[in-house]
Amino acid sequence: MAYIRKRTLLNRIFEAPAIGKMAPGTALFVYACLLFWTLVVAFPLYWILITSLKTAQDVNGGPFFIPWVDFTPSLHAWKELFVFDYEDTLRSYTNSIVIALLSTLLCISVGSMAAYALARITYKPKFGNILLFVIAMIAGMYTTWKFGVDWKLTIAAAVAVWFLLVRSIGRFFKKSVGNGDILFWMISQRILPPIVTVVPIYMMFQNLKLLDTHIALILTYTVVNLPIVVWLMYDFMNSIPIELEESAQLDGASRLRTFWEIVLPLAKPGLAATTLLVLILAWNEYILAVFLSTSNAQTIPILVSAMNAGERGILWWSMCVVIIIMIIPVVFMAILLQRFISKGVLLGAVKG
Amino acid sequence: MTTSILTSPKRLTRRQRFSEWVDRQASTLFITPAVVLILVFSIFPLVASLIIAFSRFRLGAGSYKVRWVGFKNFEKQFFGSEQFHFLGTFKGMSLFGWVVTIAAALLLIWWLYRYCKTRFWWLGFIGRIISALVFFGIVLLFSATLLSGTQFGTLGVTLFYVFVGCALQFGIGLGIALLCAQPIRGRTFFRVLFFIPLMITPIGIGYAFRMLADTTKGPFSPVWQWAGLGDFSWATDPWAARIFIVIGDSWQWIPFVFIILLAALENIPKDQQEAAEVDGASGWQIFREITWPQLLPVAATVMLIRMIEAFKLVDLPNIMTAGGPGIATESMSLHSYFAWRSLDLGQSAAIAYLLLFVTVVLCVSFFNYVVIGKLRQAA
Amino acid sequence: MQSSATEDAKRLSLRNLNKSFGSVHVVKDLSIEIEPGEFLVLLGPSGCGKTTALRMVAGLETVDSGSIELGGEDITNALPKYRDIAMVFQSYALYPHKTVAENMGFPLKVAGVARADVDAAVRETAAQVHMIEYLDRFPRELSGGQRQRVALGRAMIRRPYAFLMDEPLSNLDAKLRGHMRAELKHMQHDLGTTTIYVTHDQIEAMTLAHRVAIMNEGVLQQLGTPREVYDQPATLFVAGFMGSPPMNFVHGSIDNQRFTSTNVNLPVSANGSSVKSVLGFRPEDSEVGVAGSGLFDATVFASEQTGEYTLVTVVLGDDTMTIKMPRDFDAAIHSSVSVSFPTDKGFLFDKVSGNRESIHLVGG
Repeated sequence: MAYIRKRTLLNRIFEAPAIGKMAPGTALFVYACLLFWTLVVAFPLYWILITSLKTAQDVNGGPFFIPWVDFTPSLHAWKELFVFDYEDTLRSYTNSIVIALLSTLLCISVGSMAAYALARITYKPKFGNILLFVIAMIAGMYTTWKFGVDWKLTIAAAVAVWFLLVRSIGRFFKKSVGNGDILFWMISQRILPPIVTVVPIYMMFQNLKLLDTHIALILTYTVVNLPIVVWLMYDFMNSIPIELEESAQLDGASRLRTFWEIVLPLAKPGLAATTLLVLILAWNEYILAVFLSTSNAQTIPILVSAMNAGERGILWWSMCVVIIIMIIPVVFMAILLQRFISKGVLLGAVKG
Repeated sequence: MTTSILTSPKRLTRRQRFSEWVDRQASTLFITPAVVLILVFSIFPLVASLIIAFSRFRLGAGSYKVRWVGFKNFEKQFFGSEQFHFLGTFKGMSLFGWVVTIAAALLLIWWLYRYCKTRFWWLGFIGRIISALVFFGIVLLFSATLLSGTQFGTLGVTLFYVFVGCALQFGIGLGIALLCAQPIRGRTFFRVLFFIPLMITPIGIGYAFRMLADTTKGPFSPVWQWAGLGDFSWATDPWAARIFIVIGDSWQWIPFVFIILLAALENIPKDQQEAAEVDGASGWQIFREITWPQLLPVAATVMLIRMIEAFKLVDLPNIMTAGGPGIATESMSLHSYFAWRSLDLGQSAAIAYLLLFVTVVLCVSFFNYVVIGKLRQAA
Repeated sequence: MQSSATEDAKRLSLRNLNKSFGSVHVVKDLSIEIEPGEFLVLLGPSGCGKTTALRMVAGLETVDSGSIELGGEDITNALPKYRDIAMVFQSYALYPHKTVAENMGFPLKVAGVARADVDAAVRETAAQVHMIEYLDRFPRELSGGQRQRVALGRAMIRRPYAFLMDEPLSNLDAKLRGHMRAELKHMQHDLGTTTIYVTHDQIEAMTLAHRVAIMNEGVLQQLGTPREVYDQPATLFVAGFMGSPPMNFVHGSIDNQRFTSTNVNLPVSANGSSVKSVLGFRPEDSEVGVAGSGLFDATVFASEQTGEYTLVTVVLGDDTMTIKMPRDFDAAIHSSVSVSFPTDKGFLFDKVSGNRESIHLVGG
């Protein structure tokens, strides 16, 4: 028996010469595909960039591709946004930064605490208590709706009644739900299309006179992104060896101190990845911002679409400038993030 | 004899007692903020939205009036004046439509029958009946509109985005992931570059693709002129417009599928592939026998995440086509948003709830019948 | 050597193999001729290049220079699938989504063998590795030893020309390891298949091998039967690596045909190739006695009972030595004792090159 088969021409082109090497035919195909996809990814970005350097005539006069060759680049759009209109630009930009950062901070702290608790502490909320809560809430809302009582009052009353009921008859309930159910409940909130909840949220903030403020957007973004944080951080928390926490507890540290001094530093890689991800989601969010902000809390995606509103049609050049200043920080984060995100999501995906 | 350097205090100070109390309540303290936030901003609006969906809602000066109307809002979507908008236009079913409908019905009945034969659990059975009914409804919808030559409404458009978009993204995402898993030069460069679209704001993508798709002033206009399609516009042909939006959405989301599948590919132990090499398997055999089966659980999970997000699609159609031509590219989210903008809150909430129902049924079905099985195999 | 060499038996030759990873030269000029049916063990500490050498034979690693020949045919650049060899990986590399039967049948399946034939071969092989009851299990449902057997079965089923084994027993516990070792030896003997076995465990090497190749830092130190390697170590490294506890060393110098160190002054047959020298002797060849009665005196550091024998550790200058004594022996810590061994059991090594000198101690 011959150990080396005769290599035909086809073999020579498509069979790797050795492990870890590519055959010439395969290599040609692979690099051609990669080049093609590189163009697909990069060309829209390139087009945004050069459009930001075009004048109205350049944009409307037909396609021009290369600056200095078929059109003369001008910085007029950049000047307009950063010199003449800088107040508007700056306000949107700072709004976006403040809202994205604060909502991320809130989301990460609340979410990782919940994730840690679900990974380490056993919860057994009684099924009956949850049912009571739902009934109390519906009763409260019905009262508001039917008798026009102030909703804040009825909600407070409902919570108080529920609390009393739990204290008195709560112990008679037998069935309880577990950590897994709570985790699933929290993560499943991500299924909710924002459009389902945004109208009542809009009305709530209107009622509280918080519409078009930072707080409204910060709180809403926090809740929208909370499921992601809980989901990703739960896995990271679970992967931390429990012995470390147990030894900290034997050394006399409280739960909070254990969380702060042992768990959080160990979860840093996961924390970094999740933070960046949530930050980007909050930074790019559009539809909720349309509902909840008008001018005062206007974020940068709204500024982008504002370039479409004038009677002069779409100001493509200015719009591209805004898109670019939106993209730049995000691209840096993407470079930081790509390694983390795949690992994090993968961890979650494999464990379910 | 050694003594502990920590001497135990006889009496706790007030501060120590407080911190001990805090420690005892830690389990509550850790989880309460998250629960309260979700209750206030997710569950409460959900219930409120349900109430709105059953009411006629009028915004007045500084206040609003609510009137209970029962199922009126939903009735309108299914049978009333909004039927064409939500479901589509019906003009009798074509023969082909009937064939597909009956085939689907038979298939679903056989599926239920098989479930009853192998194992039976009443909750599982009810769940399967709901899934089967929804699937049948979807097939019926497409048979009565698409296959009978009329236009489908926002429900059909949303499903088109979800299924066609997800399939496209999975195919291409897997393809590039496989390419990047080859022993290529500059792998990190390609990884980072291919990842970037995911990070870009959808609104920016929407406008950028509008520029690119312009057949008279866009970068590809010479190609269109050459092909004799200079007068053609993506935004005026319903199918072109839908595909156009799927392309934009895919451009953004392929990186997500790509990056996770690539990580999953790299996560498969290298020695398994080497063992297969030594055992004489060809490249295709290794993919089919070793790589693909181990990729499946991750692939199923990724597609579940993608499906959930695809149902929410709203910014792209809003920006790229504003739902047009007519209602050809209007997703349910956008439909609901337009209803809200015309201050018809009841309608808006009703559509949102229908979207939620479809999303939950389809995602839970996919999770139960596909993802769980794959995960169980992997565990 | 019991070999089932037939007419067309082929010998596997590694000629001047070299491999570098970046600037690290992991395999240096490795040349070994492997006879048909031979059980060759590549032995060495981790990072000595033995696994890389094995992977080059498998075709999983490219060769920088040199050649691999099988029966006179050059297979240096052939793909693994054309080499007709099977490999057992350290991690076993079982496919987690395939059952035991599917795992074992995989090499035949990809070769396009008919299904019925695959099934028959799987049953036969499974019987050989005692896994017949577990054919429908998944790897995750098996114990370490069972996984090991499946990996072996998967390698055997094709009746390949050679087995390559990369530390196959290292993931098992000590008891099971001893058991599997015996089974491996038995099986290889019956099959008569050429086997290259990589390990860092010298007991495995001694018990399994027809010949042992000891490697250190990519260089082949000595190639020979276990006996030869143990009794006639070619270098200081081999001497220190083989044996448990390993050979004792006294660092000193040779001058005027005398080996001298702290408290040591012994006559040797001739001067060495260099002045700095090392005297080696095995723990089991030596004994301790009353101070002044042996070759040299040393101080007891510890005396440990193992049940089977007593290990006495003594200190001489900067050197620590272990001496194996009968189990009823005991010595007080800090006491002074003499160390003695037959002069023909002492080895002298050149400290600089590490090679063994051709001189020996002279009886006195």
